[in-house]
Amino acid sequence: MKTLNGENHMRSRAIAAGVLALATVLALGACSAPSSDSRPNKQIVLWHMENTPSRVKVFQALADRYNATNPTHTVKIQVQDWGQIYTKIAAAAQSGKQPDILFAIPDFTTYVRGLGLGQPVTDVVNRVQATSGLVAASTAPYTDAGESWAVPLYGMVQMLWYRADLLRAAGVQPPKTWSELLAATKKLTSGNTSGIALPAGKNLATDQVLYSLMITGGAANFFTKDNKIAIDNSKTVAAFDLYAQLLAFSPKDSGNYSWPEPQAAFTSGAAAMAIEKGQYLAPFEAESGRPASDLGCAPIPVADNGGMPGSIYYSNGAMVLSKDKSTKDGAAKFLEWILDPKQYGDFLNAEPGLFLPITKNGGTESNWRQNPTISTYKTCVDAMLKQADTGTLFGFVDGQYVKSIGQISGQNFLAQAVQQMYVNGQTPTQAVTWIQKQMQDAISK
Amino acid sequence: MTLSTTNRAVRTVGDRLRRPVVRSGMPASTKLLGYALVAPIVIIMAVVIAFPLVSAVTTSLQNQHVIGSPADFVGVDTYAKLLQDDAFWAALGRSGIWLLLNMIVQTLLAFATALLLQRNGWWSTSARTWIMLPWAVPTVAVAVIWQWMLNSNYGVVYKIFAGVGIDLGAPFANGAFSLITVILVNSWHWFPLSAVVIYGALATVPNEVIEAATMDGANAWRSFWAITFPLLQRVLFALGLVGSLWSFNVLDSIYLTTKGGPAGASTTMPVYIYDTAFSAFRSSEAAAASVVTVIVLAIAGMLFFRFGRPKEY
Repeated sequence: MKTLNGENHMRSRAIAAGVLALATVLALGACSAPSSDSRPNKQIVLWHMENTPSRVKVFQALADRYNATNPTHTVKIQVQDWGQIYTKIAAAAQSGKQPDILFAIPDFTTYVRGLGLGQPVTDVVNRVQATSGLVAASTAPYTDAGESWAVPLYGMVQMLWYRADLLRAAGVQPPKTWSELLAATKKLTSGNTSGIALPAGKNLATDQVLYSLMITGGAANFFTKDNKIAIDNSKTVAAFDLYAQLLAFSPKDSGNYSWPEPQAAFTSGAAAMAIEKGQYLAPFEAESGRPASDLGCAPIPVADNGGMPGSIYYSNGAMVLSKDKSTKDGAAKFLEWILDPKQYGDFLNAEPGLFLPITKNGGTESNWRQNPTISTYKTCVDAMLKQADTGTLFGFVDGQYVKSIGQISGQNFLAQAVQQMYVNGQTPTQAVTWIQKQMQDAISK
Repeated sequence: MTLSTTNRAVRTVGDRLRRPVVRSGMPASTKLLGYALVAPIVIIMAVVIAFPLVSAVTTSLQNQHVIGSPADFVGVDTYAKLLQDDAFWAALGRSGIWLLLNMIVQTLLAFATALLLQRNGWWSTSARTWIMLPWAVPTVAVAVIWQWMLNSNYGVVYKIFAGVGIDLGAPFANGAFSLITVILVNSWHWFPLSAVVIYGALATVPNEVIEAATMDGANAWRSFWAITFPLLQRVLFALGLVGSLWSFNVLDSIYLTTKGGPAGASTTMPVYIYDTAFSAFRSSEAAAASVVTVIVLAIAGMLFFRFGRPKEY
């Protein structure tokens, strides 16, 4: 009996060992097996990085509507994150598992093309241009070597936002020039109110606000014709100097500000002015407790000498990555369907006020115009559309196409230079010399 | 009269804690089963540790820019470039400060909390539960909470200090204070874990030894240093070693609050590596920095083990 028990015991141990070994092999096998691409033949995979819940919902609803029209290729949306997309698309390019459509901004497009991805979409852009007309600033940063590398979908532009109630109380008119802006900022600063709330953290928000002032100061183009860095000039120094002076009247923790902090300061009345895109419109009444008429807007003030109207303009577009002609045609049809006036307004309403139309007839699209945010702030929306006409983006000024711009924008050098002034006490001249060297080093590595 | 009785008791407890498990002769099938049982986790651990290590070393010997992009073998050129980068050495120095201050602040907070928790009373009884809250809060929430609490426009902490005439300034945005502010936030987040571990260890200190010391005439302070602290040394050593390694590698707390700023003032080694890889797209330099960091940590670990290991008593 003892022997039998012992044999059973040993046998069960051997079986257990065998099962464990098998489980190990299977587990490791599962880890190492290449994942099969289970995508149906007639399906287009779209990656976008607009992962705010409202945007995800609207984009998915539009894809469902498109799929309900029985297209040759249905659309499957996969939401990604801006923070991870650079590595994810590189890995996808290596494994050949890239999406068919990829949402992009201009500098990201240069990066994706550097990975060997991206198909020309010139024919699509030309068709949309012919039927709907396109804002020039939306197509320019995607045009290289005579081809369009992304279909623009929506634009974003910055304005000077001001609290009309605070300006009225202080007897200040909306500023139009840099000197007026500085004077207004000084006059509006009192007690617990800052004249302006500006970001000075190491982030894209700071890059963008500073660049808008560089544009209106005539320092938009900081590359030579052969794409070398030429940011160290008197116009850039003047823009840096203005930013440093304005920061003296911004809340004291501006050195850590990005997008939300200036907006919170503005809506709470802790700051009288801010420079940002149209995301200020939708939540203003609810968050400030003030009537919509207290939210004022004006074009970005221009330099007193040699200034020109303008603002940073982000054209958000969609790249087509699939090389397969049938899939590429399917992707083109979907993108043209989005830009069709019948649904383009719904698309823009994913973020009313922030997403601006890039087609000429998009500005009159009824679904968009009827949105409560757009209709309430009609004057400011129209002002943003007008501002978009003079918008531009670093690396893509006046027909430029700087392929190394991703290495510069990714490191937030403009914001870092602001911090050199704001935190380390550098003069504007020193900060501009510093940034010239940093940018040169970045593109030479 | 000295503490001879107490010392004997401490030795007895120490011996009991150190007593090795006596192994009996095991049949081959039992040994085989033992190996089979540990094999899956050993193999998986080997794969998940070895593969990234080998991959990092390989990448560090190339000139890769974007992660995953084609690259050429350049030998140790990347290391030479890295070692000439002032920002690398500055980040390594800040990591040293980060490690040291986190260890000191967290140990002090944890020890003080554990000793308070050990007391009897409703406060300490209820605190044993809620004291864990800072640790249970996700790091993202911790970062947001502290940024808002210290905001100069509407921060609660900021306003409280302002109410008593203290201007906190801009703790996250001031080059002189941003690193220490993030260290304090990180310590607030993590000290409850150490506190609970130390509290658990305190519970293992035999009462009879403390009583013997008291009978020998030792006061509470003397009892703590002569009995409690020596008996906790093993736990503190393990906590210090593991905690230091964890602490060194913290990226999220820093990145979510200051992004390494302002002007690089809170850029520790993990932030430097992350920025080099994902902002500057210099993967090979980031990989080389990772390899150097592993070597530095291994040396620090060995030194800690050599000099920080509890002495036998």
